[in-house]
Formats: sequence, C-alpha cells, structure tokens
Amino acid sequence: MRSETGDLLQGTLSILILKALLGGPSHGYAVARWIEHVTQDVLRIEEGSLYPALRRLEDSGWVTSQWGLSDNNRRAKFYTITRDGRAHLRAEADVWIRYSAAVARVLRAAPALG
Amino acid sequence: MADPDAGAPIWRRYQRFIRPDIDADVDEELRFHLEMRARELEARGASPPEARRAALERFGNVERIGGTLRSHDRRRHRVHRRSELMHALAQDLRYGWRSFRRTPGFTLVAALTLALGIGATTAIFSVVRAVILRPLPYPDAERITMVWMDNRRMGLREDIHSWANLEDYRNQNRVFTAIAGYYSTGLNLTGGCAETECEPQRVRAGAATADLFTVMRVRPLTGRPFTVAEEQPGSDAVVVISHGLWQRQFGGSESAIGRTVRLNGRQRTVIGVMPPDFTFPEARTDVWIPLALDPDDRQNRQAFGFYAVGRLRDGVSLDRARAEMSTLASALETQYPSNRDYGVYLVPLPEQVVGPTLRTSLWVMLGAVGAVLLIACANVANLMLSRAAARDREIGVRIALGSGRSRLVRQLLTESMLLALVGGALGLLVAWLGLRALVTLAPEDLPRIGEVRLDAVVLVVTALVTLFTGIAFGLAPALDAWRSNLAVVLREGGRSGAGGARGERTRRILAGAQVALVVILLTGAGLLIRSFGALQSVDLGFRPEGLLTMRIALPSAKYEQPAKRVEFWEALLARAAAIPGVQGVGGIQDIFLSPTPNSTSFTIEGRAPTPEDANIELPLDAVTPDYFRVMGIPLRSGRTFTARDNQDAEEVVMINESMARRFWPGEEAVGKRFKYGPADGGGPWMTVVGVVGDMRRTGFDAPVRFETFRPITQRVAGNLTLVARTAGDPASLTSAMRAAVKAVDPEQPVHEVATMDQLLSSRVAQRRFSMALLGSFAALALILGIVGVYGVTSYLVSQRTREVGVRLALGAPPGGVVRMMVGQGMRVAAAGVAVGVAGAFVVTRAMGSLLYGVGAFDVPTLGAVVLLIGLATLMANWLPARRAAGVDPVAALRAE
Repeated sequence: MRSETGDLLQGTLSILILKALLGGPSHGYAVARWIEHVTQDVLRIEEGSLYPALRRLEDSGWVTSQWGLSDNNRRAKFYTITRDGRAHLRAEADVWIRYSAAVARVLRAAPALG
Repeated sequence: MADPDAGAPIWRRYQRFIRPDIDADVDEELRFHLEMRARELEARGASPPEARRAALERFGNVERIGGTLRSHDRRRHRVHRRSELMHALAQDLRYGWRSFRRTPGFTLVAALTLALGIGATTAIFSVVRAVILRPLPYPDAERITMVWMDNRRMGLREDIHSWANLEDYRNQNRVFTAIAGYYSTGLNLTGGCAETECEPQRVRAGAATADLFTVMRVRPLTGRPFTVAEEQPGSDAVVVISHGLWQRQFGGSESAIGRTVRLNGRQRTVIGVMPPDFTFPEARTDVWIPLALDPDDRQNRQAFGFYAVGRLRDGVSLDRARAEMSTLASALETQYPSNRDYGVYLVPLPEQVVGPTLRTSLWVMLGAVGAVLLIACANVANLMLSRAAARDREIGVRIALGSGRSRLVRQLLTESMLLALVGGALGLLVAWLGLRALVTLAPEDLPRIGEVRLDAVVLVVTALVTLFTGIAFGLAPALDAWRSNLAVVLREGGRSGAGGARGERTRRILAGAQVALVVILLTGAGLLIRSFGALQSVDLGFRPEGLLTMRIALPSAKYEQPAKRVEFWEALLARAAAIPGVQGVGGIQDIFLSPTPNSTSFTIEGRAPTPEDANIELPLDAVTPDYFRVMGIPLRSGRTFTARDNQDAEEVVMINESMARRFWPGEEAVGKRFKYGPADGGGPWMTVVGVVGDMRRTGFDAPVRFETFRPITQRVAGNLTLVARTAGDPASLTSAMRAAVKAVDPEQPVHEVATMDQLLSSRVAQRRFSMALLGSFAALALILGIVGVYGVTSYLVSQRTREVGVRLALGAPPGGVVRMMVGQGMRVAAAGVAVGVAGAFVVTRAMGSLLYGVGAFDVPTLGAVVLLIGLATLMANWLPARRAAGVDPVAALRAE
C-alpha cells in the first residue's frame, strides 16, 4: 500500500534515522526495519535513499560509522548517533511537535471538516 | 553465507591493509541490505527469485545509489587523508623544532654549514644568470651578429674592415636585414651649459651608421635616432645621448632634445636619448653620432677602422650566413688583389659580449660552489647520522610502540627539510652579502656585472637547491632508520648506538667523497694561482713602479696645424718635468696595444719582400724623446730621439729588439732604412736610429709584435698618453700634473689618470678575480672537508672506546692502537685522494683556457695538494685516535 503522505521530505528522513539510532548502533537494514515497524508502513520510504541520507548525517557529524559484525556474523557497517546528533534530533523534534500540534489545532478548529 | 569478496582477485582482500577499498565496501554494505531483506521475505514464504526481485524493488535504483555513495566516500577519504597528512606534518615539524631546540649547538653548526653552501651557490648562480643566461637587452639578441674581417694574413679572426669592403658586404648580402658599420672613439664634450663655465669632459662615443638602431631594434627613449641622410658630412651635426649622460648633464629633462653640445669643438644638436640598458658598442658609451665619411674614405679599401654588426634575416641560419658572406669575401678577393686573404668571420653578439674564457671561468666557479655545497651536505649528513645514533633508543621505542617505519622516515626527512629551510633562509642572507662584495670586487671590464641581482629565477633556484640539500643530507639518516632492526636496537639499548657496523660504511664513504671533492677544488685553485704567478712574473720589459699615466686628446678643430700640437706637447712636457717629485716625463700614443691596433705593411730598402714579410703589419706609434728612459725600457743600440729629429730633419724611426732580430739578424739594424707601405708608395724612407728592448704591449700572455716608433716631432699625434716617473707615490702627483695641463691650455681635458700599477692590475683583473674566488671556495671546501673527516673519525673512534679499553687491558700498546685507528682513517683518505686526483685530471682539462704557463696536469700543484690533504687528514684522524688511546682501560670498560 502506497503512503498517503507522498514522498518524505529530506529533513524528515534525517529525523527518522536519528531516532532509529537512539536505540543503539545499527546497520542500514535495521534502521529500515525500525522505521517500517514504528510507522507501520505508513511512511513508506525507498530503502536505498537511507544510505545517501546516512552519508549526509555523517558529513554533518551527527552520525559515525564503523564496520562490525551483524547478529548472523556478517560483516556490516554500523552507524552510531553522536552527541551532536542527539542535540540536533531534540531540536528538530521540538519544531516538529509544535508544528504538528499547530496544524492539528487548525484542522480541529470550527468549522468542522465535514 | 557468501564471502563478500568471493570472486574478487585475492589481492583485493589485502588491499584494505594499505588503504580502504571504497568500492568493495559500498558494494558490501548494499549487498548486505538486499540479502537481509530477501531473506526476511523468504521467511514469509516468498520464493527466492521473488524475494530477490521484491527486495530490489523496495530498495530503488541500486546502481545510481551505489554510484552516489562511491563518489561520496572517495571524496571523503581524500579529504580525510589530506588532513591526516597535514596533521602528521605539523606534528613532525613541532617535534623536529623541539628536538633542534634541545640541541642548539648541533643546529647552529648544521644551519651555518648549509647557509654557506647554499649562499655561495646562490651568489655564483646569480652571476652566471646575469652574465651568461639572461639574454642581452635587445629583442631577439641571438639574431644579432658581429661581422668581422677574418684577416688570414695576420692570423686575426676578429679584425676590422675597410669602408669600401664593408660597404660591399652591406649592399650585396641577402642574409642580414641590415649591417651597421661603426667605430668607437673618445670625444671631448663641452656645452650643455655656457662654454666657459663648463669643465670639458671626455666621453666614449659610438660613430655609427643610422641602421645601428634597426639592427639592435632599440628606439630612443625620447627623441629620434639619426637618419641615413645624416650620414653625409655637413648634415651630421646631430647626437644621440645615453640615459646616463642625459641624467648627469640635463637632469633628465625633456628639454634636452634640441639643445646643442660641442663634441671635439664641433656643435651638434641633441636629437635623442637612449634607454638606460643600451650599452652598445661599449658599456660606457655616452654619445652616438652619425658615421659621416668623406667620399675619399668611402672608396678606401686599405684603411681598416670599421666594426660591423648585423641582424640575421628571419629563417637564415648562422651557417648559411657564414657561407654567403664567405662567398662575397672570395669574390672581393678575386676582384681586388689588396683583399687577398681577407675573409669574413661571424660571431653571435651574446658570445661576443661574454667570451669563451669568461664563460668557462664562470661555469668552473659554479661547479666549485656546487662541490662546496656537496661537502657541506656530507658534513650535515654526518652530523645527522650521529644525532640519529644518539636517538636510537628513542627510535627503537617508537618502533616498539607501533610507529610505522614510513612514518619514522617521514619524521626524519621532515627534520632534514626543516634544517635545510633554515639553512636556505640564512643562505639567502649569505648570498646577498656575498653578491654585494662580489660586485664591488669584480673587475670593471666584467661584462654585464651591473645586471647581477637576486631575482625571482634565482630565488626559485635557491629554493630547489635547498630542497635538494634537504633530501641529500636527510637521505642517509632516513635510510638508516628504514633499515634499523628493532631487535638489535633494543638489545644494544643505545649502548653502542646505531653507529656500529651499520653507519660506519656510510660515514667512511661520505668522508672519502669529501676528500675527493676537496682535492679537485684545491687542484683547480692551485692551477689558477700558479697561472697568475706565472703571469705576474712575466718580464714586462719596463719598470712599472712609480709611474703615473694620463691620456690627453687634443681637439682636432683647435689643434689643426701640426705645429700647434708640437708646441702644446713640448710646453706640457717642459712644465710637467719641472714638477717637484717628477723625475722624467715621456709620451706615447698608446702604452698598450689592442689585438687589432692601427697598423701598416712596410718595405725594407733594397730588399724584395718575401711572402711572409708581406703579411707582417707594423703598429704605428709616436713617442717623445724621453719616453723609453722614463719607462725604463733599455736602449740596445743606437740612440733615442732628440728635439732635432723634427720636420726639417731626416725621417727617423726606432724599432724593438724583436724586429731587429727578425729582419737584420746578425747585423746592425741602426742605419738601415725602410718605409711604411709598398716600395713605390708615397711614404718617406726612414732611417733606424735606435733599437730598444721588447715590451709586452699586447698583453702579459700575448707574444711581442714587431714594433716601430716615430718621433712625435715627425709623426705629429693629437693623442698622447703621458707617463711620468715619480720619486714617491705616483698618485700624489695627479693634481700637479693636471695643473700643468691647465697651465698650457685651460680648456684641455685630461682623462684616464691612473698609476701603472692600476693599469697592470686591471689587465689581469679578471684572472685575479677568478683566482680569488676559486681560491676562497677551495679554502672553504678544505675547512669543511677536514672538519667532516675529523667529525667522522671522532665519532667512529668514540664508538669504539670499549673495544679500545679491552685491547689496552689485554696489554696492547697505546701506540699500536693509535696506529690501527689512524691507519683505518687514512685508508679512506687515500681512496678519496686517488678518486680526487683522477677527477681533477678530468675537471682541470676543462679549465684549459684559464691557465697560463702551466699544464692541466701539473705535478707540483698535484703534489702540493696531496701533501696538504695528507697532512690535514692525518691530523684529523690522529687527534681523536690519540684521545681514545689515552683513556683509562678500566674507565673505558665501565663507561657504558
């Protein structure tokens, strides 16, 4: 099923990834799975776009990477959120929550949508 | 699970140890994702192919994303690596700086040694660049060519033309865009200010055809050059002046154009000012006037007085020009019998300005400083080796702690470069000071020496030389570190240091090479000193001490009648002779002769000239009665001139000994008669009244010519060089002599006042300069080299203190120990001397043209050099060895 919200904004994807990494170092596939699970597939992302996004986060210093072993002993690249990444996520999350609350209020205000 | 690298070449697996394999990493990361997804889908019941397809679909465009990631990662890797390197470099530099500061003595010695080497190299290179490498300040200067008359009769390749011949070459050749004719002369300049107020001054003048400016392709800075129309006598009252004269005389004012000056009494209008770097035909030329010849002179094929310079047409090679000009010359030889054996000889102007001898000597100098630099490098390399040995434990620890070898080598090279940079910076200072001294001490006739400066090219070369030295002396310690064996280092624990067997060979080779270079330099300098000595001891044929000379040129307009000239000379001689302190005064037209003096053929009375005789030309000269006595030239037979040898008396002549011996061997020359020119020529027969001793008039190292002298009262000259013999310091009588001239004619200028010592020393100035330079480089090399040998021996000996202690404790006599150690050092020195002598043999042969009276393989010079080097190295080996043998065996054994 296609997402009703259409394509994700780039900033949104960064937030999703950073949030995913709060749970500890993960490889790209685990990040994809986490987003899938949490959003219950509502926010369907093109999985491949995760990786360029991860590189951008790395360039910004919000994420670091190193090679390690996956649960099934495969060599995989793990990403870890940095202290700067956490701060950034917090700030972005505030903006989002206020923004979405405001939009929700607008939508709830009279007259009703009908 | 599949090995991610399966299928890749086996070396790819190891590539990561050298540098990250970015492409493989990206592939692996994406493959991991796709496989995990496919596996999950399979677990939910999809067939493997379906699962793969679905995984790919969810992923998106694998190729595009992979490409993006690869290029991103590569860029990131590059940036990362660069910053890592910069960081390492900064660390190395900081570390090096600290370690230099901990050893200020070492650093000072090493930096100064390098500064001397780099500075000397820079200074000499700037001279080579200014004098040889930089083109002359004329557009396409290499196309400008001197056109000489090849005088095969006299064996003079660079002789000057008669006008008629030159005119034929100018008109008939098709290889030059133009050939300008010119001659150089001195003129008395008055004017530019009120006639009576101006001190007349002597200026160098170029009398040239108008196309000189086209040939040189230089236009006046302001005003115009002269024209062909102004080459006509009567229309030639114009003058182009030099930038220097313009500044001195007219304050650089534009209004100088159109003003008049008097040159040798003749009024001329200033029409142009040349740019400052226009120095043709001579460096000091101040005025250029049109070469305006009378019709008679234009026809003359046997009066030789004209230089010629041309510009090759585009596309014409020098060889083609030579061929065509030779053809023209042959045609003239056939057409005019008087032209027999006259050819044409072309020399490119740059070669003419800086002759082969000067070129050779400058290249020799550059080679010499290069050798000094190498010796300096070897010294610093040795110092660095010793220092590295002292740091062996530190290096060992760093290796043990996992410092990579390449990192270690980089660290050592960084230190070397840092030291080289300090040396280079100090070297620039040395070069700057050295150049100032060099330019001050350089002989005046060294062409283009005024153009020497530390310009951008020189700075770039200095930078390259600095880099080279950094690598040259940094290489030995770096290689040493590369080879260093951790186990050995830690076991020896710095006790005997890394010096041991590992460094000894390198050090010995460096010391031997230094000795070899010093031998070569000393031999070269020795040969120049011997040449100079030989030149100084040449018997000049006169007594040069206590002589004062000055030149006087009577303006031809004012002194047109010979009687007036004679009157002037006689009055002047009488006054000058009366000056207290003056023992005698004489005069001659030219004390010294140029290689191409004014000269003539001659005929001996009653004798048909043999073909060889017909080729001999006699320089023309006139002297005052007292000249030979004043100069101290001995009279061999007959008499000197007297006042009675005047226009009304019999025509008389004096000759030199060489001429008497050649033409009247075994008989008395006095009383014989000959005349200038052919037997049927218009000149009078002249009776030989006296024979004087030979004098070296063409130069110390040139053969004596056959010479004739006429009395000034019969051949009435307008130019004379006055020579006064004085009791005390000749220079102190200058003003009295000037006053005597003023008393006879207040307007008459005097120029080129000099003592004979000054004249003589300026004639050997270039040789003296080369000798002094090479001598100082050789001395510097000797000091540096011996210090180097001493340093190596001291170090090697100090490394063996323990061994010496054991030997002494076992009862070896101290003398034997010293002999053993000195013997080892001397074997190296002997090898160095052998190589050096062989090298000197090759190198000094290139110096052939710089030598005089001594062969390139000169046994006394080589013997002295070998002896000097032998003694010096013996001392350098013996001192440290003796010190080592003097130790107390017990202390030596405990020492470490």
